[in-house]
Amino acid sequence: MAEYNPFEMIAYTGSRFLEEGKMVVVGTGLPMIAAMHAQLTHAPHLSMIFEVGTVAPILDHGMPVSVGDTKIASRSCYVKGLCSVFELVQRGFVDYGFIGGAQIDKYGNLNTTLLGDDYSKPKERFPGSGGAGALAANCEKTIIIMALEKRRFVEQVDFLTSIGYGDGSPDYREKAGVMGSGPYRVITDQAVFGFDERTKRMMLLEVAPGLKPEDIQDKIDFELIIPEKIKNMEEPTAEDLRLLREVIDPHGYFLGREIR
Amino acid sequence: MKEIISPIKNIAKIKYKERSFEWWGPSPDEARAIQISKSRELKDKRTNLRDAVKKLIKDGINLGIGGFGDTRIPVAILHEIIRQGANDLTLSFHSQSMAPELLAGAMIIDERITIKRIELAYEGYELLGLSPLFRYLVTNEMVELDDYTNYGMSARFKAGAMGIPFIPTRDHGGSDLELVNRGRLVNCPFTGKNIFLVPACHPDVGIIHVQGSDMFGDCRIFGHLCTCPEIALASTSTIITTEKIIPEESIRKYPNLTEIPFFATDALIHQPYGGYPGSTYGFYWFDMKHKIMFKDICEEFRRTGNKKKLKEYYDEYIFSCDTFDDFLNKIPYKNFKEIKELDDGQAIIL
Repeated sequence: MAEYNPFEMIAYTGSRFLEEGKMVVVGTGLPMIAAMHAQLTHAPHLSMIFEVGTVAPILDHGMPVSVGDTKIASRSCYVKGLCSVFELVQRGFVDYGFIGGAQIDKYGNLNTTLLGDDYSKPKERFPGSGGAGALAANCEKTIIIMALEKRRFVEQVDFLTSIGYGDGSPDYREKAGVMGSGPYRVITDQAVFGFDERTKRMMLLEVAPGLKPEDIQDKIDFELIIPEKIKNMEEPTAEDLRLLREVIDPHGYFLGREIR
Repeated sequence: MKEIISPIKNIAKIKYKERSFEWWGPSPDEARAIQISKSRELKDKRTNLRDAVKKLIKDGINLGIGGFGDTRIPVAILHEIIRQGANDLTLSFHSQSMAPELLAGAMIIDERITIKRIELAYEGYELLGLSPLFRYLVTNEMVELDDYTNYGMSARFKAGAMGIPFIPTRDHGGSDLELVNRGRLVNCPFTGKNIFLVPACHPDVGIIHVQGSDMFGDCRIFGHLCTCPEIALASTSTIITTEKIIPEESIRKYPNLTEIPFFATDALIHQPYGGYPGSTYGFYWFDMKHKIMFKDICEEFRRTGNKKKLKEYYDEYIFSCDTFDDFLNKIPYKNFKEIKELDDGQAIIL
């Protein structure tokens, strides 16, 4: 088996969950790489959307480094602005949204706003929702990319920026007035999680080869649901790695980084 | 419609002040009255930055910042605002990187600028990291915030542009944003389901950089529109900088390409590279070197509390310059050459 780094594993895993003929909102970085990999393999007619206003670009103009990057708009099919993209999301044109965060809890709620217990006096302030809150609410499914660390997988988020399943009650999202079905997968380099249909709690689905469910639970502050059968995460083949390294991100902007 | 609170109230652990509702800029009625009182004459709006800022930027205003991240950000206008000074500003935007940081730095080194409040969805440098000065101001309780999603802020400008006091959105509900911001969850009279209303946002002054405009202020925007057309229409006044002045005949030949109409433009300044060191589609990409230099200087202040380098940046690039062209003159030609090549002449119609 070919050697790969954690970023390559995350991008490859993200790609596996994207389906042909769908639309996915991506940010720059691993979500975009995942979508490009899917386009080059099993989902050639998958369309990327960037929240700043671009639909279905062909990114052959150099690697964009930010969501507002001008390189995203060229060679797309439709360019408007933020209202347009988020209205497509609300209207039901968007199947998947990739989001991330500083903290996630067992119901898939995410925090990108602050650390601490007081909104006006936070211990640390992060950028804020950006598009994530709206994507978590109304993309049909959200795929969350996180680093697997105890300080990030917490019992309860300090600030709930992007809605997951709330407190796990069956009508939480409906009462919140949001329309998407909620968090679908949580992807890390060592494990993939889903959510239990009944309790809405995070459930281990796949672990990286060589790891045991206990290894994953050790890195998580809340109790995971661990079913009897756990799959091994699929590993990228030599051809997948060639696509990732030579075709998609040849300069290693996103896949060549050291893990922080 | 009665206000409802979603089950977020059962799980939220964040403390926040209950704020009674107030507009953070002109109310919809005030914004309409101002609009009605203005001339809509098709006239030459060209002026210079010094006069435009002197006339329109006042203490206590709500300043709506156009662009997204560092794309088409109104840097030339911000430099002039910093030179002239303005106190008790409210900033409104969806996602920004360097633009609010420029104002924040001016607030830190020299109280000619003070930011009182920020209504926003995102302030940060994306993959480059957090915004040092935003972190500094917020964790030291120096600004009041009102957080929305990117759609929330865009929809708020859109409501302003539509002349309605609020707009329903299908997000914010069930998150802590529902509790801390000025929007409200209500029960929809038609579906019977809950829906979140965000209040309109009318900046007193919108500041926007575009690729092309005729002398009347009919503007073309290429690449992402961000929420610039909505901000221009929602604002009671708008200052526009443009890379190029284009002939009226061209506007009249392709009126579908006009994204901001003349009657929404109050002051127009022909300022090539007016979004630099941000990018402008069809003209230039980001100057990452300059962006990172500025961010690193800000981060050094945040870590050490030493204002020396921050002050030097402002002295060198803003205070010692009479005009934005003086600032551009200090940037090596090779930077411009590189960012032009990186844009690679993306297709625009001017």
